[in-house]
Amino acid sequence: MTNESAVRPYSGIRVLDLTRELGSYCGRLFADLGAEVIRVEPPGGREDRRIAPVGPDGEGIPYRFLNVNKKSVVVDRRTAEGRAVFRDLVSVSQIVLYEAEPDHADALAEIASVPGMRVTTVFSYFGLTGPYAGYAGCDLVAQALGGIAWLSGEPGKPPLQLAGRQSVFVTSLYAAAATAISLWDGERTGASHMLDVSAQECIAHSLQNAIQVYDLENRISRRGGEGTRDAAESAFVCADGYVFLCAPLALTASWGGLLAWMKEEGHPGAARFIEPDWQDRALRATEPMKVEFRRIFEDFVRAKTKNELRDVALARKICMAPVSRIADLEADPQLVFRNYFGALPDGTHFPGPPYRLSEPLWRIERDAPAPGRDDAEVLGMLRAASRR
Amino acid sequence: MLPRFLEGIRFADLTWAGAGPFSTKLFSDFGAEVIKIESRSRPDPVRVGGPFKDGKAGIDRSGYFASRNTRKKSLCMNMKNDESREIIFDLIRRSDVVSNNFGPGAMERLGLGYEDVKAIKPDIIYLSMPMYGEDGPLANLTGVGMTISAVSGLMWQTGYAGEAPLGPGTHFPDHAANPYHAAFAVMAALRHRRATGRGMKIDLAQVESTINCMGLSFLEYAMTGEERPRVGNRSPHHAPHGIFRCAGEDDWCAVAVTSDAQWLAFCEVVGSQALSSDRSLDTAAGRLAAVDRIEAELSKWTAALPAEDVMRRLQARGVPAGVVAHSKHLMERDAQLASRGYWQTLDHPEIGPSRFTSPPYRLDGERIELVRPPLIGEHTEAVLSGILGYSPDRIAELRTKGALE
Repeated sequence: MTNESAVRPYSGIRVLDLTRELGSYCGRLFADLGAEVIRVEPPGGREDRRIAPVGPDGEGIPYRFLNVNKKSVVVDRRTAEGRAVFRDLVSVSQIVLYEAEPDHADALAEIASVPGMRVTTVFSYFGLTGPYAGYAGCDLVAQALGGIAWLSGEPGKPPLQLAGRQSVFVTSLYAAAATAISLWDGERTGASHMLDVSAQECIAHSLQNAIQVYDLENRISRRGGEGTRDAAESAFVCADGYVFLCAPLALTASWGGLLAWMKEEGHPGAARFIEPDWQDRALRATEPMKVEFRRIFEDFVRAKTKNELRDVALARKICMAPVSRIADLEADPQLVFRNYFGALPDGTHFPGPPYRLSEPLWRIERDAPAPGRDDAEVLGMLRAASRR
Repeated sequence: MLPRFLEGIRFADLTWAGAGPFSTKLFSDFGAEVIKIESRSRPDPVRVGGPFKDGKAGIDRSGYFASRNTRKKSLCMNMKNDESREIIFDLIRRSDVVSNNFGPGAMERLGLGYEDVKAIKPDIIYLSMPMYGEDGPLANLTGVGMTISAVSGLMWQTGYAGEAPLGPGTHFPDHAANPYHAAFAVMAALRHRRATGRGMKIDLAQVESTINCMGLSFLEYAMTGEERPRVGNRSPHHAPHGIFRCAGEDDWCAVAVTSDAQWLAFCEVVGSQALSSDRSLDTAAGRLAAVDRIEAELSKWTAALPAEDVMRRLQARGVPAGVVAHSKHLMERDAQLASRGYWQTLDHPEIGPSRFTSPPYRLDGERIELVRPPLIGEHTEAVLSGILGYSPDRIAELRTKGALE
């Protein structure tokens, strides 16, 4: 990249990354914008390196994604010398990202005892306090106890987890924004801060309006939008896969555009959908109407491809889009146009930035590190710091 | 605590609906002055979309709006009125951030494009968050949050094994991925301005933001050339890993065994001789091969027990398990959220006392106190006189001309 800025938003900020799962994406967000994010690992590396699936080289693929741009230093904290190095690292860091480590139960107290302004962000599934504080967690359980699994899936079948370990991303994102704001305050006032971030609370904070629906109208939102979601709001089968359509009465342009299109193509559904029962919002959210809509619409789009349907959506302002496979993403014409996908230093294709800044401040510079890759550099930095 | 971490930062906030206001709420909750610029003639869709207190509609009665707009101020004007742009310009001159989540070109049509705004406030931080980005062949595709799930791969991968893709039951990307990537970018821009004196534009394409949250699936495909089929609640790496029916009408518990040690504990809790005596199940690979049999045994056990009992018994031995919570459970039964003071009750002139989720962390051992959301136009006079220094006569004139609503 040309014209690279020397000063980046987190230049000069050092982050100790002691995360294993929930907080790893948080560290990456800082690293991508110029922070020096240092993984402190035991000899042999921390266990998050081996979280499945592993790639052809035996290294965890989640590890590779979540630890790009970070450094790694190996410190044996079972030794007195290692503990001293750890304290020195804490003392030169403005942010510590922490997830409980079975072998170092007192680590949080140790971090807190090191003088200096610092934001310490602690990640856990349920928080540091309360009756579930000692509970074992994982992505599925966080999605269950946080309330998102209940809202997903179909009536008559089990509630459904979301793909892609979403609790990791949701938790890291909430934590990263709060950590950034706490750092802003610490730099202005000199005050240290401690964030106790709960994955369960993060998921429960992201339930659309389900909390308010119960609090104000005493209704429990249910999976499949039972009784609330419109018949014309779902994924439907088309010629080469699935298309997502959203055309409830409330989206006038989308529903109107769909009817006009069906009429122009002479499909009998056009006449059916102008009958009175299809103008009734409540009826449209019932199971028989959902079944009928699916039958008619899938018949209409049976011979149309995802890309054809997307072109129609654009031309007719219908809220409709392909249900893209992961394998489709790199061919998405919009993402191609915007040159979205990039590559790791070794050439592996990689998602581009989550936001575009008008200055080139976001970049991928380093692969996820091997254990201790940056020992010499980081320990040299510590020696220089102690001389000062 | 009522934090003042962002005191002195002002937003001219044009965001509406879900994702945009959820992002700027973070800033108001931490003490920034977020002035929501809104309109009665074209109100924020979530103000008119409900749910409403007691089911009775009203522009100040929406719980959805309330939950996205705590501690903000409301400046209400007719955006199409000729005088309005000058008011907004005056506000922008005194603001640090201008935020919007309109479609491409909408801000330009209002005369509020980045170049227009930069001309009057060169160091402005300008946040746009259109669905697919500002330019390109699909920039004008109409979409909602579920559209973002559809085109990012999240919908494709979320569903029962062997059945059609379903995706999340909500407009999921609107409620974390996009608002919080946006918030993180705005904080970075504030820091960058502090260091360099330069503002910047942030173009957050919500699809691009969400694909980062599908990064694990994308990288797996990029490295192996293989795309995983939908697995329902199962895991390709661990078994059992699922959501199981418990005693009750529609009660479920999630259970996952993610290590060999957990498996031994699991067998003791479930008390199945058939499972505990089978040495082929001592490894994850063995358990995956026998997943149907394990799930059948587990289902027999859970079906007779309340979901909370299943959770407590397994958790007592360190096995990940959790009730599948719905809104009522979260608010009335979940002992953890109650213990941590997660729910806050705020009074509101129209809604009365109602409950809000706290920001999902405790800060320095405390909860961040929320302040109720504004009534529409509640702060119009205060903003015009207090921040912009308009005289009472000028404000009256703007009302007469129909610029204020």
